[in-house]
Amino acid sequence: MNVLRVSKWTIAAFVLPCLLLYVGLVFVPILVSLYSGLLDWNGIGESKFIGLQNFKTLLFDDPVFWPSVKRTLMFAVFSMAEIPIALFVAILLNRFIKRPNFLVSTYFLPVILSVVIVGQLWKTIYNPAAMGGMLNQVLDMLNLHSWTKSWLTDPKIAMYALYFVALWQYLGYHTLIQFTGIQNIPSDIYEAARIDGAEGLKADWHITFPMNIPIFKISIVLAFIGSLQAFDMIMVMTAGGPAHATDVISTHMYNMSFLSMKYGYGSAIAAFLVVLCLIATVIINLVFNRLEKKFT
Amino acid sequence: MAVKSNALKMAMAGTLAISLTACGSAGSNSTDSGNKSQATAAATTAATTDVKKAENITITFQNIYPDPTDPKNGMMKKIVNDYQAKNPNIKIELDSLNTDQQKLKLKTQAASKEVPDITIVNPSAQMKPFVDAGLFAPLNDMVQQNGLKDTFQSGILDWYTFNNNIYALPDGNNIAVVYYNKDLFKQAGVEVPKTFEDMVAAVKTLKSKGIQPMAIGEKDTWTGSFLFMNVLLRTNNGPGFLNDVVSGKKTFADPAFTDAVSSFQDLIQAGAFQDGATSFDYNAGENLFKTGKAAMYFMGSWATGGIETSSVNGKVGVFKFPTVKGKGNPDEFMLAPGSAFAISANSKHLKETKDFLNYFMLNFPKEAFAVKGAVGIAQKVDGDFKAAGYSDMAMEVLDLFKSVKGGDLAFDNTMNPGTAQGHLTSIQNLFVQKKDPADVAKEHQTAYDTNNKK
Repeated sequence: MNVLRVSKWTIAAFVLPCLLLYVGLVFVPILVSLYSGLLDWNGIGESKFIGLQNFKTLLFDDPVFWPSVKRTLMFAVFSMAEIPIALFVAILLNRFIKRPNFLVSTYFLPVILSVVIVGQLWKTIYNPAAMGGMLNQVLDMLNLHSWTKSWLTDPKIAMYALYFVALWQYLGYHTLIQFTGIQNIPSDIYEAARIDGAEGLKADWHITFPMNIPIFKISIVLAFIGSLQAFDMIMVMTAGGPAHATDVISTHMYNMSFLSMKYGYGSAIAAFLVVLCLIATVIINLVFNRLEKKFT
Repeated sequence: MAVKSNALKMAMAGTLAISLTACGSAGSNSTDSGNKSQATAAATTAATTDVKKAENITITFQNIYPDPTDPKNGMMKKIVNDYQAKNPNIKIELDSLNTDQQKLKLKTQAASKEVPDITIVNPSAQMKPFVDAGLFAPLNDMVQQNGLKDTFQSGILDWYTFNNNIYALPDGNNIAVVYYNKDLFKQAGVEVPKTFEDMVAAVKTLKSKGIQPMAIGEKDTWTGSFLFMNVLLRTNNGPGFLNDVVSGKKTFADPAFTDAVSSFQDLIQAGAFQDGATSFDYNAGENLFKTGKAAMYFMGSWATGGIETSSVNGKVGVFKFPTVKGKGNPDEFMLAPGSAFAISANSKHLKETKDFLNYFMLNFPKEAFAVKGAVGIAQKVDGDFKAAGYSDMAMEVLDLFKSVKGGDLAFDNTMNPGTAQGHLTSIQNLFVQKKDPADVAKEHQTAYDTNNKK
């Protein structure tokens, strides 16, 4: 701050508009939503203050809630497990491809597509063979008839089919982030390592990975928060069905607030989601601070 | 909210006052800050003196006819334009949305008490929360103007009446029928089923001939529920099961309900519906039938227009939903009083809005008839359908209307939204796994009890 040679007041004055906007658009709504979580309110008429009743029902009496939390967390785990793969792809691209930009952009393409389009596309792919479902037709062609499934409507499989689409869509995104990170590592470090006899995977383990940890963290946080909020894709493909089999926290919240018209209860779910996000962010930060200290 | 908007007005009046004094014009103008339109007019024309003009009024008209290829869209625009031509000072602003979007938008608008002048609601239990919150203006006086009330079919307005006040005017009045593809029936050698058991048998025959027996868009859960409720209407030997539950005379464990569940499962287990039915939304499901890929389609009579303009037109017939296990009367239908126009109680131009809606509804049947959209509207229609070129199928549907002897409303029009969601999910589950009817009954009872405790 001293480098800037301006008074703290000037800095405050410049920061203030943005800060106000942020507080007004983020913190105030969160507080309002926390308050609505304490109401018995259908979103339209009179509301009644019922204290923590909504949270009690949510945590102890709602048969849909915990399974949907589990699916959300699984979603997060899968998304995070994808990032090492993205890193590996990025390393390969960086090392073996002369002009990797084209490939990186290609992998990035699904990210730009609207989720609705991606959802519709995969819905068609997952359709039963009789309805033109590509996946099942391919399996039939390969004589793997027993592998064909009703991907989106079998309650045991539907959720995994959804995870896969999300992974497919965001692989390119994380590859791009990791790739950019790798390119920022100075090449003289690798040259020094080569002299010391470390090349290929060994160099990656000792140089690329540790030097890329901050970028790795960004990807992990993005993947985690993104999957906690997963909503649009699920809405397009299954809308939480069949019979809650693919409900996650956010779709459950939507169903409760807008379809069952229990706005207060929906707000309670939203509050839970916010808390979950905060806790997760804190944990991820702690873990990575340790990692960074260990490696640098 | 009220406090906030007052503060906003104060602030606006404040800035207005400053700008006016800065311009050097008379400061007294800013005293009537309550009249916002005049004040803003004064601000923009601060230099000129001409403030008073004929009062221009804008009425927002939220509606669910966004699709330009839908005849109703053109019809609405025509009536609106005619009205604007006659009343140059009135501007009707259309806010055309898809059904689901409109439902959502209205709910968020209602939460902040900013309901558009005219909006769309669904009958009975679905509009009750809005009425209870005092968001809509009673239309009792308005329906008397120009004899509008008498244009409606008798009894239809009851679904929109609460405490003897009419709160909305419907655009439709439909019944549930089974459409069938005559060509596919002939190909498989099946007859129009007379009983539900015949229907299950026909499903099996069609299936064995490689023809998809029925189509449904069960991702939109109300479709399966609508069919299930028709089975229940039969096994209960008449309408009123849900009302009996509400009044405490019956529970969901009643044999009428469990029988309905098991019969409904018979149909599903016979393979009536397409694979992956729960991932088909309403349009995708209907398209299977409209493209000739399915032999039967259970739906409200509002689908008639869409089927007429599809490739299977001319090959389609309709039949009444048959008796189940010898019970019930096929002349009792699932009734679907349509979505309806309501007026915001807080409308700034309540009188003008009422006048416009009055004009709109008076012209509705005539214009709908002209664009061949008059099958299943809520008002009486003068005119010869046959001579106007309506299809044979449309005529068949119109004949079915004549045989209606009462019936039930859809589940979500009878029960509160929380219970309805429990029901819809429970029924959707039957499409993906076989369940014990007693368990289904228990799910319903739990949903009902948890959403109706006081």
